[in-house]
Amino acid sequence: MSNIIEMKNICKSFGRTEVLHNIDFAVAEGEVVVIIGPSGSGKSTLIRCINCLEMISSGELIVDTIRIPAEQSRIRQIRLEVGMVFQQFNLFPHMSALENVAFGPRKARGMKVSEAEPVALDLLDKVGLADFKDKLPGQLSGGQQQRVAIARALAVNPRVMLFDEPTSALDPEMIGEVLDVMKNIAKDSGMTMVVVTHEMGFASQVGDRLIFMDDGRIIEEGKPGEVMKNPTSDRLKDFLSHVKHH
Amino acid sequence: MDFEFSVIVESLPMLFEGAKLTWVITLAGIGGGMVIGILAGLGRIAGTPYLGDEPHGIFIPVSVLTRYLSAGFVEGIRGTPIIVQAMFLYFAFPMLVRALFTIDQFRMEALTAAVITIMINAGAYIAEIVRGSVISVHKGLIEAGLSLGISRFQLIAHVIGPIAIRRMIPPLGNQFIISLKDTSLFIVIGVGELTRQGQEIMASNFRALEIWLTVAIIYLLMTSVLAMTLRHFERKMKIF
Repeated sequence: MSNIIEMKNICKSFGRTEVLHNIDFAVAEGEVVVIIGPSGSGKSTLIRCINCLEMISSGELIVDTIRIPAEQSRIRQIRLEVGMVFQQFNLFPHMSALENVAFGPRKARGMKVSEAEPVALDLLDKVGLADFKDKLPGQLSGGQQQRVAIARALAVNPRVMLFDEPTSALDPEMIGEVLDVMKNIAKDSGMTMVVVTHEMGFASQVGDRLIFMDDGRIIEEGKPGEVMKNPTSDRLKDFLSHVKHH
Repeated sequence: MDFEFSVIVESLPMLFEGAKLTWVITLAGIGGGMVIGILAGLGRIAGTPYLGDEPHGIFIPVSVLTRYLSAGFVEGIRGTPIIVQAMFLYFAFPMLVRALFTIDQFRMEALTAAVITIMINAGAYIAEIVRGSVISVHKGLIEAGLSLGISRFQLIAHVIGPIAIRRMIPPLGNQFIISLKDTSLFIVIGVGELTRQGQEIMASNFRALEIWLTVAIIYLLMTSVLAMTLRHFERKMKIF
């Protein structure tokens, strides 16, 4: 398997504060990587560098054979291949669920409405929300909004999906429905996924590899079950004792 | 003191002529002001994350220059009285053009000066309305748009624009009404708008009460039409 994402010696600073220190990280095609760590450990920043929402300060980053930094058109190319799901859903509030999902295919892939809408409807059906296609985001629950957001990211037909704490803003009873959708994507389509989460159950069931970050560094990585059972560093032991198991 | 209703009736044709001119100046002025305002408002935040990815290469100095020029325009116009701007444009500007470019015949029509004054004056204030509305759009929505791989133009046209426009309407209504009332200041450069017509009738019959009451009511009717038009637009938009 070839690597679809490769990071070598990545540093990222905001002003004078360096938040990622010399990160080496690679994701193989079809792999599901779960990143855990305390807040402020740099895990969100790390995945936001992958689709260029943040620009790396130094180091080497290659996404789908495109080397970053790159010109604007190449960055758009990367984003077409790398979908993202956000903690706060970020659905377009002036568009219906269907319009949200059809937006990417129409504008980024240049499809006609008549081509994009069946694609969007099919994806809404996959996340169990075909009946809600005409609802505005404000009329949906948090869990429903996040499922629409997942469908929106998938609609552009990316090769990699990034999830930035997709269940952290949800009420407990809605976390399951979103995790189920994510599990299905990983199993059915063999999608390459990088997931920042605190859901340890998801990590052990779906993850091929678990990465523990703290203070802008990768502290431990390995098979999720093994890493969770036998943490070697004190920081991971401490972290695991604080997260709940679902 | 007696109140002669017939004075009002007699003055109406002349006042309506003035009101028509007030409309012309107002509509042309706020039309141009919207174009200037959108350009200067977006110009002031060019190259910032409010409008998507940060610029690269040549676009870095270009966006800095755009921001400075836009900010200079807005501060310059907001910081000087509109009546001084009108006087400058009508009296001083033609002198400058004649001297600098040796065009002996160059003159500025009072009506042209009035329309341009409203355009640039409203433009400066509308720029701030546009900027304020655009920077109020949640950063996460911009990132969601970018992460789908759309262009900056698509991001502005389909994500930032529709959300920002809804927030612009109430302050725009304010500005349109202010601009309409500001046209009364063009009495100083001799444009025959509503206030000027009232003044002329008053100078011939000295019926201050009837004339200024009528003028005030006509202004109120015109501003009400503007306010109702904007309310109509606001209601027609999707609520989210």
